[in-house]
Amino acid sequence: MSVFTSTFQALGITLRNLTRKPNTVMHPFVKRERSARYRQTFALLHEANGDEACIGCKKCEKICPSEVITVVASKHESAITGKKRGWAEDFNLDLTACIVCELCVQVCPVDAIVMCSVPTKPSFAREDLLLTMSLLYANESIPRAPYTGTSLVESHAPDRGVEKTPAEKSPAETPPA
Amino acid sequence: MKLLFDNPVLHALVMGVALSSAVLGVTSYFIWWERKFAGRMQGRVGPKHVGFKGLLQPIADAFKLLIKEDIIPRDADRAMFDLAPLLAVIVGLLSLAVIPLASGLVISDLDVGVLFFLAVGAMSVLPTWMAGWASNNKFALLGGMRAVAQSVAYGVPMVLAVVVPVLLARSMNLTDIVAAQSGGRWFIWWPLGPGLVAGILFLLASLAEGNRIPFDIPEAESELVSGVSTEYTGMKFGMFYLAEYLHSLVGSAVFVTLFLGGFDGPGPDVMALQATWFVLKTALVSTALLWVRWTLLRVRSDQLMSLCWKWLLPAGLIVVMAAAVWTRFSPGTAP
Amino acid sequence: MALSTVTQNLVSLVRANPHLDIESYEPDADLMVLNMGPQHPSTHGVLRVKLYLDGEVVVKAVPYLGYLHRGVEKLLEKLTYVMSTPIVDKNDYVSAMTNELALVMAFEKLEGCEVPRRARYLRTICAELQRVASHLLWLGTFALDMGGALGGGTSVFMYCFRERELILDVFEELTGARFHYNFHQVGGVRHDPAPGWDKSVHQVAAKIAARIPEYERMLAENPIFRVRTRGVGRIDPVLAQELGLSGPNLRACGIDWDLRKQRPYAAYDEIEVRTVTAREGDAYARFMVRLAEMKESLRIATELVSGLPEGPIMGRKPIETPNAVKPPAGEAYSAIESPRGELGTYVVSDGTPKPYRCKIRPPSYHALSALPYLLPGTTIPDVVVILGSLDPIMGEADR
Repeated sequence: MSVFTSTFQALGITLRNLTRKPNTVMHPFVKRERSARYRQTFALLHEANGDEACIGCKKCEKICPSEVITVVASKHESAITGKKRGWAEDFNLDLTACIVCELCVQVCPVDAIVMCSVPTKPSFAREDLLLTMSLLYANESIPRAPYTGTSLVESHAPDRGVEKTPAEKSPAETPPA
Repeated sequence: MKLLFDNPVLHALVMGVALSSAVLGVTSYFIWWERKFAGRMQGRVGPKHVGFKGLLQPIADAFKLLIKEDIIPRDADRAMFDLAPLLAVIVGLLSLAVIPLASGLVISDLDVGVLFFLAVGAMSVLPTWMAGWASNNKFALLGGMRAVAQSVAYGVPMVLAVVVPVLLARSMNLTDIVAAQSGGRWFIWWPLGPGLVAGILFLLASLAEGNRIPFDIPEAESELVSGVSTEYTGMKFGMFYLAEYLHSLVGSAVFVTLFLGGFDGPGPDVMALQATWFVLKTALVSTALLWVRWTLLRVRSDQLMSLCWKWLLPAGLIVVMAAAVWTRFSPGTAP
Repeated sequence: MALSTVTQNLVSLVRANPHLDIESYEPDADLMVLNMGPQHPSTHGVLRVKLYLDGEVVVKAVPYLGYLHRGVEKLLEKLTYVMSTPIVDKNDYVSAMTNELALVMAFEKLEGCEVPRRARYLRTICAELQRVASHLLWLGTFALDMGGALGGGTSVFMYCFRERELILDVFEELTGARFHYNFHQVGGVRHDPAPGWDKSVHQVAAKIAARIPEYERMLAENPIFRVRTRGVGRIDPVLAQELGLSGPNLRACGIDWDLRKQRPYAAYDEIEVRTVTAREGDAYARFMVRLAEMKESLRIATELVSGLPEGPIMGRKPIETPNAVKPPAGEAYSAIESPRGELGTYVVSDGTPKPYRCKIRPPSYHALSALPYLLPGTTIPDVVVILGSLDPIMGEADR
């Protein structure tokens, strides 16, 4: 008899699921909500004064495990501030081989490269996924994932969150995230 | 039986062609219904984009299968390889010849209708085995061998189960069997006991003959890739696919005829209404079989055989004896 | 099943010595050689099992590995310590958190740095949630093997994945990625949870815990499931220990060995881990052990997340360059309890920022080595069930 009862129990569960709302998200007509930290594609940023932030230090190129970043660096004066500093003449990121590990963001000393929280649109042309410098700077306007190099490294501070005496606290110190 | 034309051959021809086409069309949409139903049971929607609610999906699938390349393995036995899918569909459609859709509306009112149905059912193992052998593929061969064992074994409980309505109606003519169930006295619940057990036996045997889960070992996809139809591509595979659903539909139709009263239902004896009752009952039984399919797991082949010989066969014998005793001694029936 | 005497003799011989060369021993045994895989719907990745069959009964089975070999250990010698965590994510691609944890703990042992308490708690919570996600995937594919792609197996598969999505959403909230997170780093973790994360964990754990009884009713008490898995693939405890089996495969044989209890790491010394064992050692026992582990992992995760301590998430200087981690010369081995068993990393350092040798000890490799012992005498459907119940992931078996 237990053969029949357990079979009917199993049948009951599938019947019960018939009445539940389906889990399907009608992509791409409906956009599935991503979390705020979702990281997918990249953007290069400008500084507040309009200069390109990237100084061509090539730390991201060295740390990338998949070697997808290629930077051609140079040094010259800035047209806006007049000071001599490093620049990236060419910056190429091969999104087809990127493993989305966020290490390049972590090591950037000037917060030039950040990740964006918008899923990459599928495309028929390979060129759309080989991010050139213009494409990367164009991504500056799309929604970004919250972490930059400095904010990520700051959250790793080994003494973060340790109770400090009032004398040690500076007015600009924010509580831990 | 009502003849559409004066000539019975012409009647059979025209009605046969009409019914076959209708049933093949219905089978394609049965596939649509299954995908929607199964999808909802699994927390997803079925086909949705092709046509309104995915209703054009079967047509799109048929078109896709037609334009696919027909790959034939090098050392395949060509004659059997090409014939197997055709035979599968033909054998599936043959049983339709004796099923009464409404009172008087039947292609061929055979006096041995039940025997005809059983013979056709026994033949249905042939295309499966042919495909398994002719494919020159070890996986397909295993599937074919399992199919032969399974079909031959489950033919026995099926015959026994079918004997019960024959005894209760005292005729092998399917129209007479339906007439004996008129007025709501369907064999599934009257007399209580033999009819119900025989109905369950028939359903299990029909699932096994049709290689449906929980008895789909011959086409066990997770072990044998695709079983007997591994080497088939394009429309030949489409025909196997169609034949499977056809078998399921026709099996449900026969179950409805033998146990659920056929076209019997409340309301006046109008042909259209009776046909509607028949179609409704068949749809319900098919959906119930779908529900079972998408819930249960597969039984292993040796467990399947032991289920048949150790449980279904004795149950069948007992139920036949019970039906015989009832028929002999029940009041109001002449011996 | 009725076997001929020749086959019966062969089967008992092969059971005693799985590497017996049948072709030369008994040339007229008339056995059919069937290659199951590497392309096959249910070999859990690219695994090839060469089966010698008599009808449907397996007389000898030879597994062939290496179809998914990607040179991970060689790659780890080329990359620095800092860059290697996203690579090992892809070993056991189904449970990435545990891979990273195993690697990073070995590096920390080399360097001798201590991990702060908050980071240890986060590591444990993520490892336990990952265990649930991995077991859900295993359950779905196990049912799929038995019920087929067009049948009841798919229903269970869809339900399991529906639950797994909830866990992946929790991980996305924490790290920004769903499958391969790069969450661990030498000295701690990289992402600090946002304030609402612990609520998400509680909600998800409650939802999944409510659904596990459904799986029990649909599978554990299902007569077809029981008849397919009971008595199938019985592993003798002595054989299990000889082969180096670990994790649920070992606990289902009755041996209570769990690295979380016996060799606690991360935050496991601050919480009680109630492991489950079974006596029979067959596929059904392994299923029951994994099902119970799911419930236990949910409990551990919710308890730890309620008591998540404040503090830093890194125990050493933040990593800002590729060569930031430069441990002294030496060697270290560190093992954790991954969902599949003991996942170990053995690393040898020569003082440079790149490891000299990094060997990964995958539990699936040892689980697969049991196949030549388990398969002779069974039928083909049983092969699929046994393979599924051992839960191998070819990515980590081949690396």
